Amino acid sequence: MGRLIFGNPAPLSVVAADDDDDIRALVAIAVERAGLHLAASVADGNAAWAAIQHLVPDVVILDVSMPGKSGLDLCRLIRADDALKDMTVLLLSASVTEWSQQSGLDVGANEYLMKPFSPRELAARLSELASRREAKP
Amino acid sequence: MNLARIYARVRADSPTTIVKQIPVATFFLLALVIVILAPMNFVDNPTAMATSMTIAGFATVLALYFTSRSMTTGWALVVPALDFVAIGFLRVGTGTNNSAFTALVILPIVWLAAEHGRRFIVYSALGAALALLLPVAYDWHLLLDAPFMVRGLMAPAVFAVAAAVINELSRQWRRRADSASREAAERAELLRESVEHSQQLAESAAKLRELERMFRGLWGAVTEQSVIGTDRSGLIDAWNPGAVKLLGLSDVETEGIRRIDEFHLAEELTSRSKELNFPVGETVLNPGFSALVEPTRLGNADVREWTYVGANGHLVPVELAVTARLTESGDIAGYLFVANDVTKAKELSRLKDEFVGLISHELRTPLSSILGYLELLRDEEGVELSKNQLHYLSVAERNANRLLRLVGDLLFTAQVDSGMFHINQTEQSLDLIVSASVESARPAASTAGITLNASIANGVMIRGDAVRIGQASDNLISNALKFTPAGGTVTVSVATTATQAVVSIRDTGMGIASAELDQLFSRFFRASTATKNAVPGVGLGLVITKAIVTAHGGELGVTSEEGMGTCFTMTLPLIDAIV
Repeated sequence: MGRLIFGNPAPLSVVAADDDDDIRALVAIAVERAGLHLAASVADGNAAWAAIQHLVPDVVILDVSMPGKSGLDLCRLIRADDALKDMTVLLLSASVTEWSQQSGLDVGANEYLMKPFSPRELAARLSELASRREAKP
Repeated sequence: MNLARIYARVRADSPTTIVKQIPVATFFLLALVIVILAPMNFVDNPTAMATSMTIAGFATVLALYFTSRSMTTGWALVVPALDFVAIGFLRVGTGTNNSAFTALVILPIVWLAAEHGRRFIVYSALGAALALLLPVAYDWHLLLDAPFMVRGLMAPAVFAVAAAVINELSRQWRRRADSASREAAERAELLRESVEHSQQLAESAAKLRELERMFRGLWGAVTEQSVIGTDRSGLIDAWNPGAVKLLGLSDVETEGIRRIDEFHLAEELTSRSKELNFPVGETVLNPGFSALVEPTRLGNADVREWTYVGANGHLVPVELAVTARLTESGDIAGYLFVANDVTKAKELSRLKDEFVGLISHELRTPLSSILGYLELLRDEEGVELSKNQLHYLSVAERNANRLLRLVGDLLFTAQVDSGMFHINQTEQSLDLIVSASVESARPAASTAGITLNASIANGVMIRGDAVRIGQASDNLISNALKFTPAGGTVTVSVATTATQAVVSIRDTGMGIASAELDQLFSRFFRASTATKNAVPGVGLGLVITKAIVTAHGGELGVTSEEGMGTCFTMTLPLIDAIV
């Protein structure tokens, strides 16, 4: 409703992708608590790519290992696309190897969160990202 | 001609006592027949005649006895002696000087004279004299009868000469026979030796052939390992069926033609050569080969992974053992390269890593949900949870976290096992890392009623991974707290030696039995004091801690006394020492 009020900018839109339903629901709650708008929540990489291209959200939250396209693949595609490359990308991963975090940052992710993540912390990160983006233009 | 055998026959044929006695006995019988059947009267003394026959008969019986005892000399010579006496009486019985049977005396003379030794010449002469002079016993007047006495003394003298000749002849024959026998024995010995020698030769030739067969069989049977032999310069001189299978070339195509280093990845040889500081080794012309055999040439066992390049350029990862072939004097004659194909092992290890990664991912995902939703429950706005509900939540959270740590530890040890565990080596101050561990352990220590002391030197710089070193010191401190009863003390210190940083964590806890100390760092091992006192844990903490310390080039040591306490010492190289 907030976006109808003049002078108050529309909340940032979010596309979330994770193959685990419960994690997706958890992400949805964190997005809501951060005051962002969840435009789409999908269960695989291909659906995520379709949603991103169609909705052009401000923020994407991607699971690293998903069927179809991985979070890393999607991040690479986003950064390579002129229309999408300024999106804020947040990766979630259940992998604990040292180099997985590095590979996430290598493909241009803004944030890399290890599972299990705290919904409180995810909400805080999202709020912070939102305020940073709103301050920019 | 086998002289020994001839001599043996002669010896066997040498006459027995009875054979020698037979002529004497025969002539006595003949004399008896003549005396009985002759028309004129030969016998002028029948008593003497009877005595003579009796003695001759007795002598013949004795001869039979001695023959049965296989006696031919010694006491058997009583027989010819009795013969002399019998002949003496025969002469007396048949007319003394006129006796027709005097010539019989020659038989015992020959018998005795042929015996071994010159004394028998004398015995035979004495015997002859006895036989010829016996009539004196009947009529002493005969001593005055000149022809009788001349005959009685002259004849034995002549017989003595004849006996001497016989004795000498038989002595010579005997000597010849002895020397022939000795020679024969010597030749037989020589023959035996040469036969034995040739048998030995045949045996060792058979053994050699057997060894050769054995070696051929063995060589042909090794089909799963590649065995390649080279001379000292790397030229291939042996190529087994395993090498044929692994590299796709036959022995004919390689032996004496190709070099071992042609089957190695050139980059690997170059980098190994660089690692060894370009050893001159066996051949200056071929640094790759020198690098390959350098440790072996210096007498060290060398097993490492290499990559073989097969006939079609296909690459095969191998574990290669290089050994030297030695000459009899112990110099290096060449090298043997025994290679195991580790393609499958590598594939297995890759699959295992994948599996571990997958399992870890699959376990962490539900844990993420559990922990996330528990947090939501705790943070639910507008809902005030009761004290009990908060307690239940914290128990659930604590256990979910415990499970999470366990999954992390398992994954970590799997990584250590597969060599996938790498650390970020950056400059770190060890004192800060350990201080942080001590501070984070303080709440747990005070809850457990344990005094936690710290004595930490400043500016202890090491090269390593701050997260991992932190994990190691957290592990050691939390272990010390777990194993120390309330009222005890845990002391953490960081100190330095010239080259080492030494972190020690000493507790006044229950200690570890000395027999268990060397198993302490094996996976899933739990000390008996831990199980007895129901200290929680699965036996991975020390494995991980040790792996971390080792990966940093350090050492983890422990001393302990049951009931008194334990001291773990983590030693890491100081940064100055590394430079």
